[in-house]
Amino acid sequence: MKEPSIGEFEELVLLMVAALHDEAYGVSILENLEAKLSKKLNISAIHVALKRMEDKGLVNSRFGGITQDRGGRRKKFYAITALGKRVLDQQYALRTSIYQQIPKISFG
Amino acid sequence: MKQPLPPHSVLRFLCWFCREDYLEEIEGNMVELFEQQYEHSPKKAQWQFFWNVLLHFRPAFIRSFKIQHTQNHRAMIRHNFLLTFRNFKRYKSTFLINLIGLSSGLACALLIYLWVHDELSVDKFHEHDAQLYQVMQHRVENSEIVTSTWVPGLTAQTLEDEMPEVENAVASFGLDRYTLSVDDKDIQATGQYAGGNFFKLFSFPLQQGDASQVLANRSAIVISETLAMNLFNTTENVVGKTIEWQHEEQYQITGIFADVPQNSSMQFDFVLSFQIFLEDEGWATRWQTSWPETYVLLKPGADVNLLNKKIADLVKRKTNGEITHRTLFAAPYSKTYLYGNYENGQQAGGRIDYVRLFSVIAVFILLIACINFMNLSTAKASRRLKEVGIKKAVGAGRSSLVFQYFGESTLMAMLSLITAIVLVLLFLPQFNQITGKQLYLYFDASLVLSLLAITLVTGIIAGSYPALYLSAFNPVKVLKGALNKSVGELWARKGLVVLQFTLSIILIVSVFVVYKQIAFAQTKNLGYDKENILYVRRAGWEEDKLETFLAEARKLPGVLRASSMGHDMTGHIAASYGVQWPGKNPDDKTEFEMMPVNYDMLELLGMEIAAGRTFSRAFSTDTAKVIFNEAAIEHMGFTDPIGKVITWGDEAMEIIGVAKDFHFESLHEKIKPIIFWLNPQNTWEIAVKIEAGKEQETINQLQPLFQTFYPGFPFDYQFLDQEYQAQYVAEQRVSTLSRYFAGIAILISCLGLFGLAAFTAERRLKEIGIRKILGASDFGIVRLLSGDFTKMVLVAIVIALPISYFIAQWWLQDFAFHIDLRWWYFAGAGLLALLIAWFTVGLQTVKAARVNPVECLKDE
Repeated sequence: MKEPSIGEFEELVLLMVAALHDEAYGVSILENLEAKLSKKLNISAIHVALKRMEDKGLVNSRFGGITQDRGGRRKKFYAITALGKRVLDQQYALRTSIYQQIPKISFG
Repeated sequence: MKQPLPPHSVLRFLCWFCREDYLEEIEGNMVELFEQQYEHSPKKAQWQFFWNVLLHFRPAFIRSFKIQHTQNHRAMIRHNFLLTFRNFKRYKSTFLINLIGLSSGLACALLIYLWVHDELSVDKFHEHDAQLYQVMQHRVENSEIVTSTWVPGLTAQTLEDEMPEVENAVASFGLDRYTLSVDDKDIQATGQYAGGNFFKLFSFPLQQGDASQVLANRSAIVISETLAMNLFNTTENVVGKTIEWQHEEQYQITGIFADVPQNSSMQFDFVLSFQIFLEDEGWATRWQTSWPETYVLLKPGADVNLLNKKIADLVKRKTNGEITHRTLFAAPYSKTYLYGNYENGQQAGGRIDYVRLFSVIAVFILLIACINFMNLSTAKASRRLKEVGIKKAVGAGRSSLVFQYFGESTLMAMLSLITAIVLVLLFLPQFNQITGKQLYLYFDASLVLSLLAITLVTGIIAGSYPALYLSAFNPVKVLKGALNKSVGELWARKGLVVLQFTLSIILIVSVFVVYKQIAFAQTKNLGYDKENILYVRRAGWEEDKLETFLAEARKLPGVLRASSMGHDMTGHIAASYGVQWPGKNPDDKTEFEMMPVNYDMLELLGMEIAAGRTFSRAFSTDTAKVIFNEAAIEHMGFTDPIGKVITWGDEAMEIIGVAKDFHFESLHEKIKPIIFWLNPQNTWEIAVKIEAGKEQETINQLQPLFQTFYPGFPFDYQFLDQEYQAQYVAEQRVSTLSRYFAGIAILISCLGLFGLAAFTAERRLKEIGIRKILGASDFGIVRLLSGDFTKMVLVAIVIALPISYFIAQWWLQDFAFHIDLRWWYFAGAGLLALLIAWFTVGLQTVKAARVNPVECLKDE
């Protein structure tokens, strides 16, 4: 099976889903990414990325319990799948291997 | 602390478009963000929320709108239909009242629509309609301007030659009945003389012959298909054959045209060349006279106002300044039918008034019918409160209730529409008879669309109260029964009943006034005796023959008098402004109606002589004498007219008598000055006064006598009184029609009242029972129940009477001689309305009052 391709922003969201482990849902992903990147993001962009990756099978999701917060609406938690992990690994390997090909001389 | 809530409407928008499986997550996230941000800045949080929602409005998150509803909808529609029909079945009387009222209202409106549509289409069928104009003439007579369609005989030719705007011009003249003969066959047909381009100008399609050639020849005759069939029994090989006209001249058929359509104001069976008319009647080429009617076809893009400026002084120029009181102008031809009246040089309505009148009546009747429907459905709606409550409790949305009620009323309106169409089909023959038209029901796009629009609007208006008002009720309150009746609703219903009766009363008064005026016109003493006078068109110029015929006729038993004159006593024929008398103002161009008469004619008509004498054989010089009517003497300002001499043309004539004023035109007109002179040769109408009761046998004897004197001419006689009545055909039609329509309006109003009364009685049944137990009399209860309705009708009377007074006054103004409005016309109409209302309500209330109290109180 061909591995699904993944965009730059999706990769960031996927990394954050993996990093937050069990606590990854829309708002937490948004806030953590905003903190890391030091810029404002819109929640709709996170939603789009999550839904797209769920369709590709990179993440899966489950509903949390009902709480008093959010007007009684449940959170939806995301977790990275094995496929997602593999795609991340490949991306990481790809980047590292190319990175290491950079001749030291380039930077004097 | 109370949780801050994000803006409701934005949230609803999100819920509406967002996929259900994503909704909770997306909504939750955004609400959480909102709550966080709210603590810093509530305003910013709201904006941010709105912005976030907007950014989610993208295909990935939008739900599918397709699948969800269909099955449920179909079931609901079926359910609503079922409920509607059950409702109809359960409340049969309401259903019938609605059906009868609405369908007869729609049927009336539909009939009137057909009539109006037909009136508006008259003369519009000509291909060049937009550029087709009729030339008319204003004459300044004394102090007022009189407008006529007669213009000088050379106008058409001159316009075509001299005015660059004019493409073609045609004169036509002499539309009248003539005798046409082929072999031994004599037929009376209507024909006219017309200029060579007649068939190019007007779209009367030629079946045989070439439009530009058929009238080129001076001896040409073009006949209609029907006339060809009547004369030859065929239309094949007819062109080229010869027809004898009035047993005087021979004409050769050069073409056949399709029968003139009904919606042409010009009706004729054959056309002769105008050239021959100008040759025969040399005087018609003089610019001093006005005879033919003239039509022009303007070039595309030509400005008629410019043309009007140029032709205004045409008569003055052509007569080298001799005639200055006549101005020509062109008016759109197809408009002259509806806008034919001119008052002092200004366009002043015409048939369009009747078109408007009936359009208003149609709207009135439809409105009355709609009000019924609305009133009954609002009244009955309160019965259905429980239904609304239960439906809402079970989970019906407001929209489905709205849909149900609108559906119900629209269905009702549709049923009525179907019934109305059936009614129209049934009554169209009678309607055609009354209107003198040949209307038929046809369905073109505009009719179907307007019918559907009317039906939908009716349905929606009628259903709007239950649909919009009832559906908004709180189900808990409704089911508990704690419903405070709105006062506004009651007022609205009463107001509508008042409006209904106001309209009905206005119609009653109008009908009454129209009827009275018509009756007045028909029984008015005209100043002459129109009964039992037969007249017939004479043929040929021979004066001796006429005299012998009259002498022979006088010998017949049953013939009281026989004479002849040049006027048929019904409407204008010919007039002259050439009468001169000492002291006449040179600007006075008043036209005197010319009445050439034979001996004995004034006596035959029973005219009274105010002074002097009539023409008599005892004086041989009477051909140089004249008689005027009183209006003429008054106009000329003579105090002692007998023996005075006037000049007419070049002749000096002595006044020998003064006839009392009489009406020869319709009563719309004032009495005009008349000049009588003895001129047997110009008397075309033979008049015979017949002894009452001997009409038929005298006619049987006159006919063979006429045939021996004028062989080949049909004895085509008319009675003067019938011709007189024919002048009022338009008014009589209006009178008959408005009588029917007013009747229907009253009927519909009463149906509504009947329904309301029945409903009120039913609702108050318990109250009536208790009142009776406590000792109320039947009469007291009737009074209680009908008191409300009486008040409403009284208010309607108070509103309607002044309005109807103004309308009646306005209509009567149009008649120079009219009835005076009397107070009891109005009192009578009001009383009639009140009586009808009482009768309707009484039927119901008496029934309610006589109910046995035990019956209505025993079960709860």
